Amino acid sequence: MDRREFLKKTAALGLGGAALLLPGSVRRVLGAREGLPGLAAVRGGEPGEMFDRGVAALGGMERFVKKGQTVVIKPNMSWDVPPERGGNTNPGLVERIVRRCLEAGASRVYAFDHTCDLWRNSYRNSGVEDAVKRGGGVAVPADTSGYYQKVPLPGGRALKETAVHELMIECDVFINVPVLKHHGGAGITMGMKNLMGTVWNRGEFHSKGLHQCIADVSLFRKPALTVIDAYRMMTRNGPRGTSEGDVTLLKAQILSTDIVAGDAAAARIFGADPKNVSYIRSAAGMGIGTMDLESLGVERIAL
Amino acid sequence: MRFLLALAVAVLFLAWFLFRAGETAPLLPSLQAVPSILRWWGGAAVLALGALFAGRAYCSVLCPLGTFQEAVWRAGRRRLSRYVPGSPARYWILALVLAAGAAGLAAVPALLDPYAAFGRGVTQLLRPSLAGGIDRLAGFLESRGLYGVIHRAGSIPFVPGLFWGTAAFFLVLTLWSLRKGRPFCDGLCPVGTFLGFFSRSSLLSIRFSGESCTGCGLCGTVCPQECISVEERKVDADRCVLCLRCVDACRGGGLALSFGGSGESLSRRGLLRIAAGTLAALGVAFWSSKKDDTVAAAASSWDEKLPVSPPGSKSRGNFSKKCVACTACVVACPAGILRPSLGEWGPEGLFQPVLDYGRGYCQYGCTACGDACPTGAIESLEPGEKQLVSIGKARFLRRNCIVRKYGTACGACSEHCPTQAMRMVPFRGSLTIPELDTAVCLGCGACEYACPAEPKAVTVSGLAVHGKIRPVSGGNEGPTVAPLEDFPF
Repeated sequence: MDRREFLKKTAALGLGGAALLLPGSVRRVLGAREGLPGLAAVRGGEPGEMFDRGVAALGGMERFVKKGQTVVIKPNMSWDVPPERGGNTNPGLVERIVRRCLEAGASRVYAFDHTCDLWRNSYRNSGVEDAVKRGGGVAVPADTSGYYQKVPLPGGRALKETAVHELMIECDVFINVPVLKHHGGAGITMGMKNLMGTVWNRGEFHSKGLHQCIADVSLFRKPALTVIDAYRMMTRNGPRGTSEGDVTLLKAQILSTDIVAGDAAAARIFGADPKNVSYIRSAAGMGIGTMDLESLGVERIAL
Repeated sequence: MRFLLALAVAVLFLAWFLFRAGETAPLLPSLQAVPSILRWWGGAAVLALGALFAGRAYCSVLCPLGTFQEAVWRAGRRRLSRYVPGSPARYWILALVLAAGAAGLAAVPALLDPYAAFGRGVTQLLRPSLAGGIDRLAGFLESRGLYGVIHRAGSIPFVPGLFWGTAAFFLVLTLWSLRKGRPFCDGLCPVGTFLGFFSRSSLLSIRFSGESCTGCGLCGTVCPQECISVEERKVDADRCVLCLRCVDACRGGGLALSFGGSGESLSRRGLLRIAAGTLAALGVAFWSSKKDDTVAAAASSWDEKLPVSPPGSKSRGNFSKKCVACTACVVACPAGILRPSLGEWGPEGLFQPVLDYGRGYCQYGCTACGDACPTGAIESLEPGEKQLVSIGKARFLRRNCIVRKYGTACGACSEHCPTQAMRMVPFRGSLTIPELDTAVCLGCGACEYACPAEPKAVTVSGLAVHGKIRPVSGGNEGPTVAPLEDFPF
């Protein structure tokens, strides 16, 4: 840590601490004014390490998790493939986030995914279930309709309502932790597409227009933080992949308070113009977030 | 002691069927008569030798259906009549089973095999209520925030014909056992009758000792096979299962388990009988181990859809000859897609399972069904081996695909396809549409299950003889190492 960074961190922590004393509404308005960046891009480290640096730049974990709150983490653990295949969120990253939430005072940390492959196998073989447990959290099943409750999506264009996992409704803090991948149907999958694993009826998305439904479901609950794992990036045959040959070891990570901005940044890393990704364009148009990264404040970190 | 041992075996069986099928090797079921004969032709010879040594002890120790009957009868505490001669019908039943087995009508041996009948009883009658209880308990804990303490057991496909058939079988057997001890063993069981050929000349047998027996007849009333004739001081060795109830009941040591030559010496007739029985059993076993040369059949039109048999079953021929419809694979399948068939395999394949892609799809690395199968109808495969076995082929009907029909992005089929046999290729504008390469299609059903189109744009038709796909390209390729040099924003 160099001096400049140390000063910056101290200042950020100080401001964050001061902000804690103010009532919520004032805090939210001040959040932007304090000059804390809304997006941190990190490259060149291990997943856990990159997360620590990125979240420090955003004001520390305390900006997102308060003492006694329950946290839900939504990784991608949808596929029955090992971590090397890049089909699921990096387990090391998930473990670190769970641990940091608890250190920040979270009362409980849950993680779940409505998997595509069989959930027991996907949870286990992705390595994410173990990572959640190692970090001190609970891996919650999401494989039967009984876990889901119908919610309205006001402002939704293709989807007016959908059934989401009960924890999405009950938890205090929601943290979205997708992995950046090629996707045969949607083009690229990252933050908003990952929310498809929080709903029960995925088939509906395909029949009603995939891109618009992805944007619509993001209306239900905006994540406090979206952490896009680009440590291993699947560049073809996604989202499942057929071999390690489909993966590029990229060692990057995007952290964003704005899910749309996070996706826009990740799309650029993937090599695409966010304006050409339908669901990003729709979501920005609907005011869910912004594609304009600079308006949010970007911190670029190289390790 | 003997009964406790038998109970322990039956309980282990129960537990295996309920919880462990597919996770632990089917050691116990593999010791069962019909599965062992189906798996290896020498199994019949081993059983015959066993019976020449220990009579039908198999029936009173290893057979869970035998133990079920004994437990019911003991609970009823009913005394039986002293002696009822064996019914000749059992020979006809055995002949029928052997003939049907040789003719490929697997349903007949499947219905009368005591192992398979017991298995169906557990999975159809016991498992649903137990699983329901477990799931309710899990739900209760979860409602209190205790996630993952116990896992839900989930349900297996409900097939009304199988459920009611099994329920009727066990109802009749229970009532009958209360009155008659071991009625299935004595009058119906083809395994028992087969062993009886050899047990007549068994080294171990129950014999009367002339001096100590007072002729009180107590032994006859506790014999579940009603095979003790006190008047003649004789036990029918082809029906006696060596359960030792009579020995325990006898107050004066009038009969005992004796070693060395039964009452009946090995006469020429006896040898002929043994030879005939051995030949018949070996014949059937050999026939069922024959290679199956059925030519690969393919569905001729979109509407015709051939059923899919489990990976490891090799061919329809092998599967139909060896499957006794015990349903071990049905409970072992973690995806819950193995469903006992009603008509898909024709009447001769009644209840032999079929893959139901309406419920899910065959998981890429999963080998649970083959690991559970004790008969060799589904052979146990290594995951790597299984990932190359093609059990069916997908057919893609482009005009049903929602990308073409509604101009909307989809790709659900390709998303789920583990080999990218369904892959997305450019269509209009930025849209992509699936393209099918059957050379790498496993027939796993992931595409069919995931397809949101109504009617489906992709369905899988089974292969009568399973094939092999070429390994998916880049199997041993490593990742491209290219750390991000700069942020593109």
